[in-house]
Parts: sequence; C-alpha cells; structure tokens
Amino acid sequence: MQRTNTLEPVPADGNARRAVVDEARKSLATIILGKDEQISLALACLLARGHLLIEDLPGLGKTMLAQALARVLGLSFSRVQFTSDLLPADIIGVSVFRQESGEFEFQPGPVFAQLILADEVNRATPKAQSALLEAMEEHQVSVDGKTRELPSPFFVIATQNPGDQIGTFPLPESQLDRFLMRIAIGYPDEESERELIAGDDRREMLRDIRAIASPDMLVSLQAVVREVPVTDALVSYIQALVRHTRESADIEIGLSPRGAQALVAAARAHAFVENHSGVFPDDVQAVFAAVAGHRLKPAGGTRFRNPAELCQHVIDRVAIP
Amino acid sequence: MARPRGTDGSLLTSLPWTVAALFVAFAPHVPYVPVWITGAFVGCAGWRFVVEKQRRSLPSPWVRAGLALVCFLGVLATYSSISGVGPGSALLAIMAALKLLETRRRRDQFVLLFLSVFLVMSSLLREQFLWSLPYMIAGMLVIMTAWLRMSAGESQSTRQSFATGARLLAYAAPLAIAMWVFFPRISTPFWAVPIDTSQATTGISGTMSPGDISALSLSDAVAFRVSFDGDVPEARDRYFRGLVLTRFNGRTWTMSEPSISRFAREQIETRGEPVDYEVTLEPTRQRWVFALDMPSYWSLSGTFMGPQQQLARNAPIDQRTAYNVTSYTDFRVGRELSDLYRNWYSHLPESSNPRTAALARGLRDEAGSDRAFVDAVLDMLHEQEFYYTLEPPPLGNNPVDRFLFDTRRGFCEHYASAFSVMMRSVGIPARVVLGYQGGTINPLGGHLIVRQSDAHAWTEVWIDGIGWHRIDPTAAVAPERVEFGAADAAFDGIGETWGFAAPSRWAYQVTLAWDMLNTRWNEWILGYGPETQSSFMRWLGMHEPTWRKMLLTLVTLVIALIMAISLLLVLRYRQPKKDQAARLYARFVRKTGVEPRTGETARVFALRARESGAIPAATIEEITQAYMDARYGGSDAAQQNLQSAVSAMR
Repeated sequence: MQRTNTLEPVPADGNARRAVVDEARKSLATIILGKDEQISLALACLLARGHLLIEDLPGLGKTMLAQALARVLGLSFSRVQFTSDLLPADIIGVSVFRQESGEFEFQPGPVFAQLILADEVNRATPKAQSALLEAMEEHQVSVDGKTRELPSPFFVIATQNPGDQIGTFPLPESQLDRFLMRIAIGYPDEESERELIAGDDRREMLRDIRAIASPDMLVSLQAVVREVPVTDALVSYIQALVRHTRESADIEIGLSPRGAQALVAAARAHAFVENHSGVFPDDVQAVFAAVAGHRLKPAGGTRFRNPAELCQHVIDRVAIP
Repeated sequence: MARPRGTDGSLLTSLPWTVAALFVAFAPHVPYVPVWITGAFVGCAGWRFVVEKQRRSLPSPWVRAGLALVCFLGVLATYSSISGVGPGSALLAIMAALKLLETRRRRDQFVLLFLSVFLVMSSLLREQFLWSLPYMIAGMLVIMTAWLRMSAGESQSTRQSFATGARLLAYAAPLAIAMWVFFPRISTPFWAVPIDTSQATTGISGTMSPGDISALSLSDAVAFRVSFDGDVPEARDRYFRGLVLTRFNGRTWTMSEPSISRFAREQIETRGEPVDYEVTLEPTRQRWVFALDMPSYWSLSGTFMGPQQQLARNAPIDQRTAYNVTSYTDFRVGRELSDLYRNWYSHLPESSNPRTAALARGLRDEAGSDRAFVDAVLDMLHEQEFYYTLEPPPLGNNPVDRFLFDTRRGFCEHYASAFSVMMRSVGIPARVVLGYQGGTINPLGGHLIVRQSDAHAWTEVWIDGIGWHRIDPTAAVAPERVEFGAADAAFDGIGETWGFAAPSRWAYQVTLAWDMLNTRWNEWILGYGPETQSSFMRWLGMHEPTWRKMLLTLVTLVIALIMAISLLLVLRYRQPKKDQAARLYARFVRKTGVEPRTGETARVFALRARESGAIPAATIEEITQAYMDARYGGSDAAQQNLQSAVSAMR
C-alpha cells in the first residue's frame, strides 16, 4: 500500500469541519447506544494518531465500536483474534516460495490494514503481543530483512478482558504506554439496553453504515488537530497535573514526559472534536482518565478502587493555574 | 465487627522510619527508666516489624488491652505512682511502643510521630546537658523525616524528605530563638514540674556517719563550677562552706535543731580584700547553697544564712542554679560565746568513745593551754602512723576509739570527727563543717571545677580570744589533700587502694575542653534566668524591662517572623504571573460570590455561578466563553470581549 501525498480538501471553515466530525459521531451513536463519551474519546484518540485500548468484559460492544469506527472513517479493516497459540507471523505475514516464479513472495498479514482490531490482546503470549506492539510503535515491520511500511493512517484498536480473567497475559506497563488511551465501555443504560434487545440487529446496521470520511481526509484532519493552539496557561496546567502525579503519596509511579505529551495530544484532539478555540482545561480533564489511567501506578494500600477514581482524585486536587 | 486484622506490607517503607523516630525519642530516657521498659519497647517495635514483613495479623484488641494493663501496672509497681517525670515518661514510652501494635494506617503513624515529639522533649524535664540541644535538633530532624517519608510515598527520595525536614526546622528556628530570648522569665515559674522523686539526692547530706563522704569521693560528677572575677584563691583557702554539724551521738554527726540555735547568731568580722565570683550549682535536690568561707553577699533569692554561717535556700535546688557571691577569706567569727553555747558545742554522749576521751584528757594536761592542746593533737595525727585512704576498714561501736587506736586509716570525715570528739572531750567547743575543698582549675575556661570527689569535712574549734577557728585535721595527715585536691592526693600513692591508673594527658585536655564548653553553656544558655534576661533586655535598649514589655516584644517579633517566613514561602512557591485574561476572570469570579473549587474548570464554575444568580446567566456565559477563548485559544478578539464584558458587569 502506498502512502498518499495528496490531501483531500479539508474544509477550511470550522463549521464544515464540525460537520464531518459531528456526522461521524452521530453515525457511530446509532450503532453504539448511549456511549457518547466513549465515542468522543475513541474519535479523539484516532485523530490524535494514537492507538486505543478498550478494556471491558466480553459482550459490551468493544468489537462493534472498532468495526463501526472503521466503517465510518472509511478505513480498511482487519481483525486478529488473539489466542494463546497465535504466532507473530500470523499478524505480520509470511514469505511464501512460489514455484512458478522461483521467488519468495510476501503474503501480508492482517497488520497491513488501516485499522486493526486486535481482539482480546491479553490472551496471546508476550511474543505475539510484542509483534503487534512493535508495529504500532514503528509504523513498519521487518520481514526477511526487508522493511515494509505499514499503511497510513494506521490504527490499532486492541481490546482486552479485565486482567483477573483466566488465561490472560497482562500487557506490561512499558507496552501499555504504547496505547494513547485506555477506555472502558461499561453496561448500557436502561433505555439503550431496551433498544439493543428489541431493536434491529446491530450487525446488519453496521453493514448499511456509510463512510463519512476517507483515509486521506482523516490524515488531513490529524494535521489540523496538531495545530490546535496550546497556550502557556494550559501548559502550566498540564505541568501541575503531571507534577502532582509524581509527588502524590497515593501514586507510586507518576506520569512520564511521554505521558505528558500524550496528554497534550489527546486533549488537542478532544478540543478539536468539541470545536474549542484552543485546548481548554475541560479537554484535559475529559481525556485525563483515558490517557493517564493505564500509565499511573497507584501506591499500595490506597483507597482507590480503580484508575478512574484515582484520576478524578488528581483532577480534584490540582488547581487550574 | 469483622475488620481485617492482617497487614498488607503497605507500611513497610515508612514503618522503619517511624520506629527509628520513636527510638531516637526514647533513647535519652533509657538510663532513667527500668530495664524492662526498654526491653518492652524494643520487643514491641521488633514484633510490629516482623508482623508487617510477614504480612501477619496484628494482635487482637483483647491482647492489646491486656498488654496495656500489664504495662500500666508494671509502671505503677516500679514507681508506686503514675505522676511525675519518671513514671510519666516511662508510661509515655511504653504506651507509644504498644501503640505500634495497633498501627495499621497512616493516621496511627501520625499519632506515633506526635508522641515521639513529646517523648524527645520530655527528656528535658530530666536533664539539660550540653548535648541535649544538638540531640534534640537531630531527633526532631529524624521525626520530621519520618513524617515526610510517611506522607511522601515512593515518589520522594529519602534525601529530599530529609532536606525538606531540615528546611522546615530552619523556618522554625528563628521563632524558637525569639521565644527563648523574650519569653519573660520570672523567679517563680508558672508551673511546677514534678520532680523525679525516685532519684536520690546528690552531694552532701545533712548528717555524717563514717563512710558517707568516701562514697561521694569516688564520684567525679561536678558539684558546682566557680568563675572568679579576679584571681582564683589558693587551694588552702578554697573551703566552700556547706552545712555545719553540731550534735554527736557517739557515731553520727547531725545538725542542730533550728529551735535550739535560732538565737545563736555569731558576730562576723571580715578583713582584707573581698573575692567576687559566680557559682553554678548542679541540682542537688537539697537546700544547701555553697559559698567560699565566709560569704558576705549572695544574689540567690530566698537564701538565708544560718546561725553557723551556713547558707540555705527555702526551696530545694532542683535545677542548675547560678548565683553571685562576695566572700572574705580572712575573717573572724563568734569571738563571744555564751556559756550555754560553750556547753552545747562541747557536749558528748555519756560513755561513748572512752579511750579517746582518756587520751584527750591526758594530752590536755600535758599541753597546759587550749591552743597548745590543739597543736598537740594535730602533731599526734601528723607524727603517728595515720593513713589517708578512701577505703577505710569498717568501724563498729565507738567508731572514734576504733579509728584512733586500732585501724588508723581513714578519710577526712574520720579525722574531722575524731578531732572534734577529742576537742569536746576536754570541753573545747568544736563542730564539723561539711562542704567542698579545693577543686581543679580549668585552664581553658579559667574557672574552678568542684566535683563530688572534692567533698570534704573539716572542723571548727572555739578558742577564747580568737573565736571559731577552722582546723583541718586532714591537712595534718595528708597535706596534699588540701594543697592539691582529692584527685591528686589519691594519685600520689596515698590512696593506693584506688584500683585505677591516672588518665592520660590528652584525655585530661579533652575533659577540660568539654568542661569549659559545659560551663559556657550553663552560664549563657541554661543560666538565662530573670536577672540575665533583664540585663540582656537593658543591653538591647529596653527601659526597665517588665514581663509585659517582653511579652509585647515577643508577640510583635513572632508576628513579624511569621510574616517574614510566609513571605519567603510565598516567593518560593509563587504562582506564575497571571495574565490579563486571568486577572479579568478573577474579578468576575469575585463578583459572582461563589468560591471556585480546586480543579474546577471555568465551564463547571459557570454552571454553579448561574445557580447563585448574582450575575445574569447570559453574562456568565459570555464571560466564560470569552475567557476560555482568550486564555486557552489565544484570541485577541476574545480578550477584548472579555475586557468589555467584565467592565460592563458592574
């Protein structure tokens, strides 16, 4: 697959940009019911060129969200079901000897798609996990000594079951860091659940869904996201948050400088999705739990039941300068 | 109530520090509390640590309550009281150790560290040594570090905690110094610290039986220090009068009852140049005040001269006390003595020490006059084989007989007692004076150190035409004792029964340097009492210092210092300068009358501000939007909107 240099015209006008993003959101909301916040975060994550980790119990619509995103954004999609016997070659691809040509021919694996759903990533062995995670980091894979570029845009949406389920290889902290955000989906509210039970089959609906953006438009939107202004005042706020995570007694390992960068990138994308004139503290707070939750290690014996609570605690403690 | 009792090892990082702080706080008490308390303290700390390390359970409430009761009763049994410094600090220490056994959370650790502070400070109620201050500062530093270790978690290194603790103490130091200098000292304290009654009195006691002083003589504890304004008098003139013993029951010398000698005030005539000096007396828990024979002026309040010229205060000396004295080493006293007192001072119990009495009568007949008799007895002690030793053999009944005729080995008290008995046997009034003699001059400080080993007993005999005359029979036997002091006399081989060698030269030098430091410390720091304070205040320019003025100065100074320290902190942790948008927004926030919460964004604040209704919702919306666009969107147009909207607000 070739990287395209020609940008599709992105509407310069704010309202038109809004239209693309809002339409995408609306479209997703018809498939994933009552999860507007998660949709916003997932969109923001992709716009910030980050990979997304969805962690929740089976059957809450993790796969559905990934597939819907691919459809709506018009991305090529492939899905890898991670199992304990998955090999790196199953993800990256293999070179096959062709009798007729007398040459090895590379058979690209599922990783050569624009949006990859790595389902139940913590079911595979660390070896298979790291094959995917390496591709995520480098945006390229090396097979038989030859480096191959991955398509652009390139997203990985990994889902994982909560770590305490049987037969899981939890991702180490260093690899969790590769994901820009980690979100949970959670049970739908009562009304949405009624609709899910009684309404149309979501799978059918997914097939009918229309692509709202194209890969090229997405790339240009990503470029616009990077231009969202970040003022000194906001940088001070980010610094204050990061410093607090490092100094707080409740947190054993605070945010790294890379974590701070991730926070800014995600907040920019969120500001764009929310059509803010710049990155507001509200944007930082909205993405904070998703960005910082899997990067912070709570100190032993603290009173926080989950990362989200800890993150909210940090937000409530840090004054906005 | 099924609360989990197990530990999860979460305190493993901060617990050692808490335990260390407790140990540091407890250490100064160790020499004073019974061994079992130290044992229990160490035991509890070790137990708690093992529990945390192995994730075991803490002892159940019943076990803890039982232990607490046992320890409480133990303290009660040891001291037969629970009030006072001794039992109080023992109880505090043991309960702090037991508290460890129910420490499962940080809150409990806070309590423990607070106890440590109290414990380390309470050691000042016992002793205030020179090293107490550095120790206390170091102890506070450890406690502060422990405190910070506990609240800082992993993210802060030990060095950082230590530095922060030191900084906090440094902030507190000026306040402490101001309090110390200006807090009004008054002669009678507001509060009375209960004195540790379990501790024996030190120094000379009110009676003298054979063996009393030799026990003292082995102690090199400092009795008092003397700083002379001029030259230090010769060793043979350095008799520090303590108390006078006038009654003898055949074995023990005691003081006369006050009712008997109340009217016996004796005439004092002084001659020559006075000697001015300052005495810093270590606490004796007795009333005697020591001064060079013969004091004419003393600065200590509530102190009176007794009928036999002994100085006594109306309250025991419970803390280190400094006083100025003027004495005359050349004096005559009691030239006139009525017959009543002549009899009184030459009274001896019937049929005690008969051999001594017989000997005395024989010598008196030979001598012909009282003066010749005194010389004859001194010659006898000098020429016959009497030995000066600190470990005399025991004497039974009629100890003077046994001493003079059989053992012939003794110490100053034996000689003084024997001499007085011989005088009284022939009707010459005689009495025994207890005090200190000699002392060593510290060449570094130029002051005189008088130790318990300088305790001495001598006699005074009344001779017609002269009055009371000091005679030191020990000088006849061992002149070195009087000329060079007790320690040198012992080292000269006279006290060969002492089982140790003379200390080396440098050790002696170190001892002297240490003593000089101690003297300065006592003079300037511990001796900072009402008089020193008021003269210091005058030096600072305060006219007629009263406690009101000092208190006012103190309050002013403390407020000024707190403000200075706050300013320092404000400068240190200054918020980044607010930009224009932030200032405008802050005005709006004040106007709404709603208190912004920490971490609350402008948007969330706007919702609450709308509820309060102080400002129309549309204005709130406008200002909030303009503020965010201006401050976070970097829009100049929004900045102007904000400006006009905020200006229009009033």
